[in-house]
Amino acid sequence: MKRVQFKSYYTQYFFVAPQLAIILVFLYLPIVQTFTDAFTTQDAFGFGRYFSGFDNFIFALSDATYLRAFKFTILFICVITFFSCSMGLLLAVQANNVIHGKSYYKTLLIWPYAIAPAVVGVTANYFFSERLGILYSFFHNLWGFNWYDNIHDAYIYVFIAATWKQISANFIFFLAGLQTIQKPIIEASLIDCKSSFRRFWTITFPLLMPTTFFLIIINITYSFFDTLGIIDTTTIGAPSGETKTLVFKAYIDGFRGLDLGSAGAQSIVMMLIVLVITVFQFRFIEGRIHYN
Amino acid sequence: MNKIFKAFIALVTLVFLSLPVNAAPIELHYWHGHTGKLETIINEIAERWNASQDESKLIPTSKGSYEDILAAFIAAYRAGEHPHMVQVYDAGAAIMIAQVKNGVVYPFEDMADKYGVNFNKDDYIPGIRNFYADSDGKMIGIPFNSSTCLMYANMDILEAAGVEVPKTYEEFEGIAQKIKDAGYIPLLQSHSPWIWTENFFSRHNLLMTDGNNGYDAVPTTTLFADTPEFITHWEKVKEWKDKGWYDYKGRAWGDNQAPFIAGEAAFWLGSAASFSGMKGVVPNFSVNHIPYWSSMTGGKEYPTFIGGAANWILSGKSDEEYAALMKLAEFMTTPEIQLFYHNMSGYAAVTYSAIELANAIGFYDLSPYHKAVGEQLSLTGSTIPGGYRAGNWPQIREVIYENVHKMLSGEITVEQGWKNTDAGAAKLLAQFAKTL
Repeated sequence: MKRVQFKSYYTQYFFVAPQLAIILVFLYLPIVQTFTDAFTTQDAFGFGRYFSGFDNFIFALSDATYLRAFKFTILFICVITFFSCSMGLLLAVQANNVIHGKSYYKTLLIWPYAIAPAVVGVTANYFFSERLGILYSFFHNLWGFNWYDNIHDAYIYVFIAATWKQISANFIFFLAGLQTIQKPIIEASLIDCKSSFRRFWTITFPLLMPTTFFLIIINITYSFFDTLGIIDTTTIGAPSGETKTLVFKAYIDGFRGLDLGSAGAQSIVMMLIVLVITVFQFRFIEGRIHYN
Repeated sequence: MNKIFKAFIALVTLVFLSLPVNAAPIELHYWHGHTGKLETIINEIAERWNASQDESKLIPTSKGSYEDILAAFIAAYRAGEHPHMVQVYDAGAAIMIAQVKNGVVYPFEDMADKYGVNFNKDDYIPGIRNFYADSDGKMIGIPFNSSTCLMYANMDILEAAGVEVPKTYEEFEGIAQKIKDAGYIPLLQSHSPWIWTENFFSRHNLLMTDGNNGYDAVPTTTLFADTPEFITHWEKVKEWKDKGWYDYKGRAWGDNQAPFIAGEAAFWLGSAASFSGMKGVVPNFSVNHIPYWSSMTGGKEYPTFIGGAANWILSGKSDEEYAALMKLAEFMTTPEIQLFYHNMSGYAAVTYSAIELANAIGFYDLSPYHKAVGEQLSLTGSTIPGGYRAGNWPQIREVIYENVHKMLSGEITVEQGWKNTDAGAAKLLAQFAKTL
């Protein structure tokens, strides 16, 4: 094969420059800034700055509320990833089988994907408000649901809000994944096995593994980082800080409490957590997935 | 060069030449934390100022909540894009006053002297003046929208239950059951850190932190668990909740206010500024002083702290801009504007001359709602400072919210809750002290 190369040494840099500039300004500079903030003590306006080593880390991590936010975040990630993936998969399989009006179903199911997390939170607010909420009164009649007071009810509230938003994203990717599965394989399996349930778990699902793996990572990062707006517009950490995720806590400490040092330290810890999760996934899970 | 292009150049030149020759007014940017009805009142004040002169033009911008505005303007300051004047709330007072030495904030009093503004310090109600002043009493912030916590009462419910508005919590305990029996929620409260914590201390003439509320020395701890009166109060609150005399609707302001607006609750403890949203919505209500425990004060009534916010002058602008800004500050403190604002918003009038004007035109006879806020703030006899200077206070309020919830849900005892709060607050105060 003929290798295509630029004649000039500089031309390629010219073409990647805009992209590099964006990455530099919006990614690398903030990261550098986060590191400097995390290792310095300063007031909200940036005065009285001095290097303080790991002081901010000790301050942030020794807080009992940090451990609580950590535990909640793990639970939050697991629940949201599981439910949004499985519901997305279920809907994708169903929509894939529909013959009439397929595109209508697809369009309707994709809609929520276009909604910003904060708007999802505000919408969920209407469903779960004590005075107006349909879901509030429905659950309240079932078991005395009251998220203002009860920790588990507050969990349910944020779980539903955050999951609902993500189902459609999972739906799109699963649907695309289903359509890449080659027809002959499906047809062959139809002859070999009568049970559609078994056919799905032994043929279709393994073939969807690359999609599933990709979605699990996407969902983990979603529930880790993007749900800030949802928490901020639903429970704001209610009843008493139990529904604060790590990102929300860092946001509150940094932008409400104006303690940039502690917020920076927390951000670095989060970066490390995501790094560990991702390395773990690529090492131990991906090895067991077969791409076509 | 073709003709069309020439004609175009001529046209552009003509347009520029025909622009008015007098200099454009100086733009004064003001960031505030008012939304909804209150924002329209600020806009109205800006319109009046802009119509009254053409040297400067006031451009008010709403930045959302008080918490949002603090974060927004600090980010803007660090980027050098800050406005001339910013509205910062009570909990941010310590942060702002600490910034005078770094040259972020210019003290109002110095600026008024420098630019020769008609300014009479003694005209300001002392409680309001001192809250935003440094420990020597020099005014740093410009008092503007001063509120305090007040008790709203639904008079129809009181009539149905056959009771009167209570002055003290003892009296409240005497009537709460009657209200409950009549089928209403006796009491609601919207801001546990502000109303039933900070203002509990001022209302009962008690110190809230060491270092004389931070006026004499940088505070290192809050005195919540060490104040028996305070613990007693919260034990009572818990008892009321269990008896159904007080209903707790979580930490959100609006959730606690909603039943009162819907006519389901007899009393609601909120802000003086809640008036503007309540008028015309709740049919028959009265605005009263916040109750106190007469057993704790020996029957004496002490003032509450100022709530709301002040306007702060930021550094980094030109001399002409400051001269114009100080004229604006003078305008905003005139009795007429103060009274307009007082009437529309429910915030207190911050000067005696505004109150005099109100009395002269018989304003309080027409609108008795507005009486309570000024009265309560003008009470005298306190031996504690008229405010508190504690850093990281927005975060300490978070700690209070969380522990109050745990106490009220019975997860921990009241005493344990306040011990935990003291511990959490001490850490945050130490963190703030490191940056001074």
